Amino acid sequence: MLNPLRSEEEAFRFLLYAIAVIVVVVGAVVLLRAVL
Amino acid sequence: MEAAGIAHADHHGPPAANRSSRVETQLLGMLLFIISEVMVFGAFFTAYFFIRVAKGAPWPAPGDHLPVEVAGVNTAILVSSSLTIHWAQTSIKNGNRLGLKAGMLTTFLLGCTFLFIQINEYANIGFAPQDNAQATVFYSLTGLHGAHVFIGLCLLLIVTIRSFRGHYSPQEHRGVEVPGIYWHFVDVMWLIVYSTVYIL
Repeated sequence: MLNPLRSEEEAFRFLLYAIAVIVVVVGAVVLLRAVL
Repeated sequence: MEAAGIAHADHHGPPAANRSSRVETQLLGMLLFIISEVMVFGAFFTAYFFIRVAKGAPWPAPGDHLPVEVAGVNTAILVSSSLTIHWAQTSIKNGNRLGLKAGMLTTFLLGCTFLFIQINEYANIGFAPQDNAQATVFYSLTGLHGAHVFIGLCLLLIVTIRSFRGHYSPQEHRGVEVPGIYWHFVDVMWLIVYSTVYIL
């Protein structure tokens, strides 16, 4: 299981996941705003 | 009796603290600290969502403009600093001292650049914290994050100086690892602040 507090490597991997999730969420909201 | 005497002679300083957790103490400290930090940011985000969602106030306040592009470049700078600290950490794990020093120095300079741009943004943004509720929340959230960047920079400066003094090794690099975890946390927090305050 991913634990970003166990090591720097896992914290970095968590950051990459966070970037991916934030890009998807922000993209979806911006797209929905443009469509609706 | 003699063995006990020798053991006593070998021990220096106060008795070892009681450990009730199986988690390493340095990591447990960082874990508890970051949990408390998430709660602090949560309180500030509650104020933000209260104004924007519960009260339905326009964001930003009419007449105010947020420099989305400049803050976007600043976001890229902060994300880059996470890459460089990860490079520094990987370097010392592999015994590459030059990579550690270059990575830490670059991370510190990128962090300084982020803070400098943010302060410059405050100076030129055109509204003050006391102008309206939106401005108060904007300065509170970004300022809280800026304070964390400042603390992170103090930690990075210590690690950078120690790197140039020849500290750390492939076996002993906890001193780089723990500030690295904190720096990634500051970076994740900024991504959330930037996407909610500037973009959405």
